[in-house]
Amino acid sequence: MNRDGPRGGRGLSRNAGSDVKAAYLFIAPAIIGFTVFVVYPLIRSFYLALTKYNGLTDPVFVGLANFRRLFTVDPAFWPSLRATGYLVVLYVPLSLAIGLALAMFCNQRFAGVRIVRTLAYLPVVLPAVATITLWKFILNPQVGLLNTILEKLHLPTSNWLQSPAMSMPSIVIVMLWGVGGTMIIFLAALQAVPTELYEAARVDGAGPSSVFFRITLPMISPIMLLQVILQTTAALQTFNQPKILTNGGPGFSTSVLMLSIYNNGFSNLGRVPQLGYASAQVWVLFILIIAVIALTAKFSSLWTYSDNTPD
Amino acid sequence: MTTLPTETAEAPRAAEAAALTETSTKSPAPPGRRRPVGTASWYVIALFISSVMVVPLLWMITIGLKSGTAVFEVPPRLLPHEFKWSNFVNGPQAIHFPRLLLNSTIITVLSVLGGVMTAMMAGYALARLRFPGRKLWFYLFVGSMLLPGVVGLIPLFQLYKSIGWYDTWLPLIVPAFFGGNPLFIFLARQYFLAIPYSIDEAAKIDGAGHFRIFTSVMLPLTRPAWITMAILAFQASWNDFLNPLVYLYSSEKWPLSVGMASFISPFAGQTPNWSYYMATNLLYMLPPLIIFFAAQRYFIQGLGSLGSTTQK
Repeated sequence: MNRDGPRGGRGLSRNAGSDVKAAYLFIAPAIIGFTVFVVYPLIRSFYLALTKYNGLTDPVFVGLANFRRLFTVDPAFWPSLRATGYLVVLYVPLSLAIGLALAMFCNQRFAGVRIVRTLAYLPVVLPAVATITLWKFILNPQVGLLNTILEKLHLPTSNWLQSPAMSMPSIVIVMLWGVGGTMIIFLAALQAVPTELYEAARVDGAGPSSVFFRITLPMISPIMLLQVILQTTAALQTFNQPKILTNGGPGFSTSVLMLSIYNNGFSNLGRVPQLGYASAQVWVLFILIIAVIALTAKFSSLWTYSDNTPD
Repeated sequence: MTTLPTETAEAPRAAEAAALTETSTKSPAPPGRRRPVGTASWYVIALFISSVMVVPLLWMITIGLKSGTAVFEVPPRLLPHEFKWSNFVNGPQAIHFPRLLLNSTIITVLSVLGGVMTAMMAGYALARLRFPGRKLWFYLFVGSMLLPGVVGLIPLFQLYKSIGWYDTWLPLIVPAFFGGNPLFIFLARQYFLAIPYSIDEAAKIDGAGHFRIFTSVMLPLTRPAWITMAILAFQASWNDFLNPLVYLYSSEKWPLSVGMASFISPFAGQTPNWSYYMATNLLYMLPPLIIFFAAQRYFIQGLGSLGSTTQK
């Protein structure tokens, strides 16, 4: 953020008046969009969270009643928080570990490494619905590919999405197929580590594990921090996989918050939409996301390495 | 909180850029780097990784070639014993693929157009014009990247309903024409910052106004930036599932994502025809695949140059 646009006083400021007019003409769509599609819904959604609202009649202000109902009455809320937490705890560390391992693997000089890298990134390019539905069939217990392969290898099979214990791990497996997105960011971070550090370590006779823990990991820690934030906030908002694969079941095992919000607010099952109640859930999710970002950023100095002070 | 959004946005793009650029230029590891694994074991692992990524796709094609009953044979065969190429005709017909494809194409083309155009305009103003509030707007746009999309879902749903936009494509298209994606504004601004100001001055001396400068000087110069944005916008719109699911009720207006997903969701106890589905699924995957491989060069160039401007 060192460069900040046209330098003042020279050249461009000569016709400052026309600049201002032109600037606001150019930026007007974005400002209108920001107001209508960001600021308005943000404020409105906070208000709706404090109301009883079915979308047809006017919202009725009820104070914190929605939140009270969420935390004390609703039998589906704690399971949905639990499912969301389970998904995050399972997915984020695995995604980071596998993504980093893949990146380190692809950061070596072998003929064909480009092909491996492209293939690992391929699932990221494909439409989410296309890959999720494909995996729904792969995980089919009777005729799916995964159990077929496991049987051929004489390994234990599973009911995957249909088993309460395995449904969430199955969803995480499907999500991890897109780990190429995590990999590509780590790969760039690895390539930015100065070679001299590795050379010096080799001269000093450092082993692979101390090179990893003393050089690689500290040098990529800023990107790691970023990845923790991005992956966690994305995982908290997971919707497509549980919606398409399990629709929340079996039981409450995969009924993540986003799915619960969707069902309360938009479900077409003939129920009256509870938009105020769903808004309260949205705000629980929003506060969780803010908390994750704030906590990760706050404690980042403990484990990230930086060679320069931010300006 | 004020500096964080910038980092979250620029780092992955810059990182991705560096990683992708690298593929085209030099060999992956610097010559001095040690190989932690032997050649043989490296290739074994490489084969395993490639299989995990490719075998599901190959299996999808074999399902697409099987007959509807062969799919449910127990134990399942990995290869069909009879190739039913007709699935690639009957499947898309049963799913109404042509109509879904047309819907998706219209929605995607328009939202790509709007998103890229308005982001480029905003980026131009933020980077190259002096006006009061320039910094404030920049930080507001960048900060809104952190806002989870779901926060706006319910109020916007009600808003669209009240102005008669429910069950139309407008909620999926119109926001794009109002700088829909703040990431694009950020990318456009970063790219515009890297262009020398002497170019504007020369154009101004020739008597060009801002509109002229933007369309005939800046747009050609920033080609890699807007092609990159167009690819990202294409992916976002083509893959979007939640928004069309919420805003579109009539099946004849659905885009591919919702239409495809609905075909396999259990309805009235019927088992979906998986071979029809998988044959059509391959067609659904093709446009993004073609764009990925065809535009890789622009993708790399664009992200590479964006990366170099953001890293400064």
